[in-house]
Amino acid sequence: MTDTLTLEVADVPSAEVEEPTREASSIEMQGLHKRFGRDTVALAGVDLVIEAGEFFTLLGPSGCGKTTLLRILAGLEEADDGRLAIGGDDVTEVPPHKRSVNTVFQSYALFPHLSVRENLAFGLKMRGMPPGQREARVAKIAEFIQLGDLVERRVDQLSGGQRQRIALARALVNEPDVLLLDEPLSALDAGLRSQLQVELLRVQKRLGMTFVFVTHDQDEAMVMSDRIAVLNGGVIQQVGPPREVYEHPANAFVARFMGHDNLYSISARNGDRLTTPLGVLSVEAAGEDDLLLIRPETLDLLSGEQPGDNRLLATVTERLYRGSHAEYRLDVGQTTLQATLNNRGRRLPEVGDRVTVSVAPEDLVTLSK
Amino acid sequence: MKKRTLKRTLTGFWLFTLAFLYLPLTVVALFSFNASNSAARFTGFSWRWYERLLGNEEILSAFANSMVLAIVSSVIALVVGCLIGYGMYRHRHRKLGWLIVLIYLPIVLPDIVFGISEMAFFVQVHRLTGFLQPGLGTMIIAHVTFQIPFVALIVYSRFVGLDPTLFEAAKDLYATPIKRVFHFMLPTIKPALISAFFLSFTLSVDDFVISFFTAGPESATLPIYIWGAIKKGVSPEINAIATLMIAAVAIVAAISLIFSRRRQA
Amino acid sequence: MSYAGVTPSARSRAMVRESRHLLFTVAPGAIWIIIFLVLPSVYLMGVAFMTNGPYGLPEMPLSLGSFERLAGFGFLGWSPGNFYTLLRSLWQTLVSTGLVVLVAYPIAYYISTCRDKWRPILLLLVVVPSWTNQVIRTFGWMNLLAPGTPLSSLAEGLGLIAPNMGLYPSNFAVTLGLVYNFLPFMVLPLYAAFEKLDIAQVEAAQDLYASPVRAFWHAVFPQTLPGLLAGVVLVAIPAFGMYVIPELLGGGKGMMLGNLVANQFSGGANWPLGAAGAILMLIATFIGLYAMRRIGKRLGGGEEVVI
Repeated sequence: MTDTLTLEVADVPSAEVEEPTREASSIEMQGLHKRFGRDTVALAGVDLVIEAGEFFTLLGPSGCGKTTLLRILAGLEEADDGRLAIGGDDVTEVPPHKRSVNTVFQSYALFPHLSVRENLAFGLKMRGMPPGQREARVAKIAEFIQLGDLVERRVDQLSGGQRQRIALARALVNEPDVLLLDEPLSALDAGLRSQLQVELLRVQKRLGMTFVFVTHDQDEAMVMSDRIAVLNGGVIQQVGPPREVYEHPANAFVARFMGHDNLYSISARNGDRLTTPLGVLSVEAAGEDDLLLIRPETLDLLSGEQPGDNRLLATVTERLYRGSHAEYRLDVGQTTLQATLNNRGRRLPEVGDRVTVSVAPEDLVTLSK
Repeated sequence: MKKRTLKRTLTGFWLFTLAFLYLPLTVVALFSFNASNSAARFTGFSWRWYERLLGNEEILSAFANSMVLAIVSSVIALVVGCLIGYGMYRHRHRKLGWLIVLIYLPIVLPDIVFGISEMAFFVQVHRLTGFLQPGLGTMIIAHVTFQIPFVALIVYSRFVGLDPTLFEAAKDLYATPIKRVFHFMLPTIKPALISAFFLSFTLSVDDFVISFFTAGPESATLPIYIWGAIKKGVSPEINAIATLMIAAVAIVAAISLIFSRRRQA
Repeated sequence: MSYAGVTPSARSRAMVRESRHLLFTVAPGAIWIIIFLVLPSVYLMGVAFMTNGPYGLPEMPLSLGSFERLAGFGFLGWSPGNFYTLLRSLWQTLVSTGLVVLVAYPIAYYISTCRDKWRPILLLLVVVPSWTNQVIRTFGWMNLLAPGTPLSSLAEGLGLIAPNMGLYPSNFAVTLGLVYNFLPFMVLPLYAAFEKLDIAQVEAAQDLYASPVRAFWHAVFPQTLPGLLAGVVLVAIPAFGMYVIPELLGGGKGMMLGNLVANQFSGGANWPLGAAGAILMLIATFIGLYAMRRIGKRLGGGEEVVI
């Protein structure tokens, strides 16, 4: 099983792998618009700066415009309006074959008529690098990505994980200013996928190259990224590091997309005391926002009824035991609340139990619709 | 029990049909070795008709004509048809109904209508301008016309079967438009190009009606020569040349069978 | 949407580029087919409405004379030779198509019941004879049906034909030649239909209907109908315009429309009459194609067998 061959970058003696001499490049997007046909809007004005050397993720549901944006960066799609600069140079009208940008495609797009070795060398050959130099570069990347004897195979003899690896190597071998990854892991099964997430991250940190990663999986985005941009309807909803996006979502869309369900409308406010369907809760800093977000893992469940400030009386209606933790669905008054309890050996409340939910004011976040 | 009788009856019918399909070809092959020139009675084995073939200038030149016609027309059709096939693929999201109609026209038009309209056209153009005198040239034009659709459809279906992101991968990996053609597209569709060439070649060699009406006096192909010989009165030499053509088909059939088996394996 | 201010330049430039690309790739072939097939066909259709000149070449004025002659009205009143040829073409097409169906149906079924690995070989066996030249195949039948051959002697012995006549030339020989020629055209689409056959339906039908005959009519036959009809079109259209087979196997009394048309452009030399015959063939062709499209749309799966 060469499939499980792992990419332990740390194991490769650094002297053997030449660090790319090229400096990482930043990307600047300004007012990018794209429409398909008459009325399908893919991008409705995107302004974004991606720093040099960043692992940057475009996150959003399908049809949100993330792939279109990536394709515009690659030059495979032309923006209707707006400017794009890579490494300080305006490349808005530069065709893809003249951009020092490479893509790892979702379908991998390995050339079926070429061997793995020829696939790896394709970009260098097209750039006119002499065969000797080309071979050396291919050998180096094959070692770096630990492809082993895969380079001698035909493309149709490869498994999904191997194809993914080759596709990555085929892009990296060109030492581009920016590497674009279009849901490169979506076709793999869960185990292989999490393994490759780690490897991809190590490669990026090791090379210090700018990576732009597209995914619809918020977990993947959080694991991998330095910063995340959440897109919806061709508009950027929020840009920030994973923790910020997860813990302080800018709006209801981002919150829901990051997996939050405990969203409650604020019907009245009195200083820091907010009236919600759950009851009245104190928060640390209540702005003018109209939604309250409660993250399930910030809640504590006390057995029995122990009323108090920022405490809610609830009934357990559902419990999903996950081993390391348990997920609860609770009835609170007229509405429901989800809570997650770490399994630290204490008694876990059962379905039907009356419990008291304890909420810390500093864990409550408000956001706008 | 009933099922078994049905199966047996069917097998019998299959064998009978097989005999029906191969009887005429077998007879031609058998009588090509006939010592006498009787077409009804086999009197003994001989190679004489084959020996006569070698000395028959008319047959040799007909063979040469057939080959030149098939090769030249297939090459032209390959280039032109390949372009159309790619154009149809690249622009498949546009409304190309008119092009589809145009492409299917040579396929659906009855041979005889195809042949006589070209002949009438060539004769009139020649009368008026002096160009397009009936001969190998006009035959090549006619053959290319019916080969183009087959090449185009084969190439088109090969492109449709490809992952469309391959085209983008080639762009992404620094291939200029010209390099994309020679380093990506042509190598990728090579199998389709080979089968398109062979199909064109076979169609050309196989064709009689269209060749017959567009030929000139000096440009008889093998089928036309055989036709003429049959019309003049049956000669056992026809059996010999026909047998050679049947043998060529049998070899192609065997090769295609081996290839299809290998692909399955 | 703040789209009003967007300049459409990138978009329109891309469209121009794509259109130019379409032109460069498609134009050579399209122009080739237009010049060397559409134009000649249109010219031929025009010829049908012209008058026959002294050398068989078309002349003005325009007239419907050729069509009248096809329908049997000659210079000297009713001379139905051409009309009989038309009727014979229709008759031969009907009979040979019917016979092809009768032979091909069990053959296609038989192949579909064989083991997977044998099917391609059996199909190939059916198709290979049609790869040989039509003239040679027909010549083979001439050898088989000539006077003095075993088949002819057998027919003589049974009193089916007059002594020393042989089975060819005759209308029977033409029918036989047509069936032989078109059998693979019917077997292939029928086989495709049988291969797609929903066995569950057949088994359900065997439960529902007591007799296998009824099970066949209610479950099997309707499912093979698209393939059958596609086959009928694939056989009937070229059979109606057949030239080689009646020319070699039919003799003077076996002539079909294809021969009538061809003769007007060679020996007989009456282009307008030949062109009128060609128009009839075209009409038959387009009716057939139209029928096929309708069938394909109604029953599904009819069109894919065309190529």
